[in-house]
Amino acid sequence: MTLHEPWWISLIKAAIIVNLVLVLFAYLTLIERKVMGRMQLRYGPNRAGPFGLLQPIADLVKLVRKEAFSPSSAIEIPYILAPIISAFTALAAFAVIPWGPGWTVHGWRINGEVANVSIGLLLVFALGSIGIYGFIVGGWASESKFSILGSMRTCAQLVSYEVSLALSVLGVVMLGRSLNLSEIVHRQGEFLPFVVPQFVGMVIFFIGGIAETSRAPFDLPEAEQELVAGYHTEYSGMRWGLFQMAEYINLITLSALMVTLFFSGWHGPWGLGPLWFLLKLLGTLFVFIWLRTTLPRLRYDQLMRFGWKVLLPAATINAVVTALVVVWV
Amino acid sequence: MNTILAVSAGNIVVWAVWVIAGFACLASGVAVVSFSNPFFSALALIGNLGSLAVLYLLLSAEFVAAAQVLVYAGAVMVMFLFVIAYVGPQQETPWKGGPNWQTVGAVLAAGAIFIEVIVVLGLKAGGRLSHVHSVNATFGSPGWIGRLFLTDHLLAFEITSIVLLIAAVGGVILGEHTKRRDVAVEDAG
Repeated sequence: MTLHEPWWISLIKAAIIVNLVLVLFAYLTLIERKVMGRMQLRYGPNRAGPFGLLQPIADLVKLVRKEAFSPSSAIEIPYILAPIISAFTALAAFAVIPWGPGWTVHGWRINGEVANVSIGLLLVFALGSIGIYGFIVGGWASESKFSILGSMRTCAQLVSYEVSLALSVLGVVMLGRSLNLSEIVHRQGEFLPFVVPQFVGMVIFFIGGIAETSRAPFDLPEAEQELVAGYHTEYSGMRWGLFQMAEYINLITLSALMVTLFFSGWHGPWGLGPLWFLLKLLGTLFVFIWLRTTLPRLRYDQLMRFGWKVLLPAATINAVVTALVVVWV
Repeated sequence: MNTILAVSAGNIVVWAVWVIAGFACLASGVAVVSFSNPFFSALALIGNLGSLAVLYLLLSAEFVAAAQVLVYAGAVMVMFLFVIAYVGPQQETPWKGGPNWQTVGAVLAAGAIFIEVIVVLGLKAGGRLSHVHSVNATFGSPGWIGRLFLTDHLLAFEITSIVLLIAAVGGVILGEHTKRRDVAVEDAG
């Protein structure tokens, strides 16, 4: 990489990527409702526009026009800041995900990711751990029993599963010999997708990922039968929308990270680059939706026992075995 | 990228970021000890750790900055907030703020450290504070730090890991002890 990308190309690229991720988020809600509908033998949303394609836009208009209600005992500033923090960190994490090989157009260098940093993988995890604060602070500032219980559950669950998640990618880092996501993708292009040597790591990452994004069967932080809606019980309008956005974008980022780490990112036959990345991303997202419609929710003690007594030892053994293999083979 | 940041220290953006991060660091530090609500103190401490991470970034220590955010601002502070949110509203907390001997002591200690820092800087810098030092591309990279951990600083690294292991075992034993006493109380009742 001899040419350096000028700053204004990075800026334009960032604007495009942010908007693409937001569009993907909007349509992911529609895809989820459609797929879930079909799996439950119904049609799903089909009134707004052809095949219900305008449904996300209708939802957005509804949310923006809705009154931003807040409880009188809520602690004002953290209550408003919480959804903003969550949405911001979720969007920012996507910056280091590589989605193409990079191109040179009219002598201008265009990299295949918004920011090519040497510690890309750590950055995604760091932003994720900051994003948790949105959920905790939001629940705490709402001054509501349901919200605070939801926050506590989110906090405990996310911290427990973050350990396994981080350990599960150690194998990939050792094989890729880098924390830079582009380099990990390049190495998979030369070698083979890391899902082959790191199948156990992939499974652990996937399970940990479901728990990190609080989706079924690990959706205890928002178990509606017990907690109304968890930490965002007292939120409405676009503030609620921002929390929802943060959750879905976290899911998109996590799926993108999984594609990058285990399924060789944008690599694929016929040099289609970003298109392969999108296809793999949609495939991963489909599996997440599929699981949500298939599996019942775990009990809280089952969740904690599984996280600490099954997933963490498995992730540790996987990391140690990979280290031994990398050193001695 | 590393060398660019270090060499162009006169760069206005770097200076602006340095000033903002430095002030954010001091202001959040003051906020940690002056908020009467412990939840806000903990939030201010997160801000403090975050602005420290920005200062690390300016020193080309990208890995240390990311680790700072991931471990301290992320994992450790989540535990603080967890406990504070469980303990409940501020009237249940032991200290409600206001001037007393602790405040006086804190101000005196801070003043002493401040004077010490100024004196040490004055002695070490020798009247020249703008010292431009160029660093190579591997400086502060994860690989380089890992190599240092396993060569020059192996003993400190291993001792730290054993101390942490002891702390973890201690936590488990303390937890087990409480649980057993609860069971005994239930049996007696």
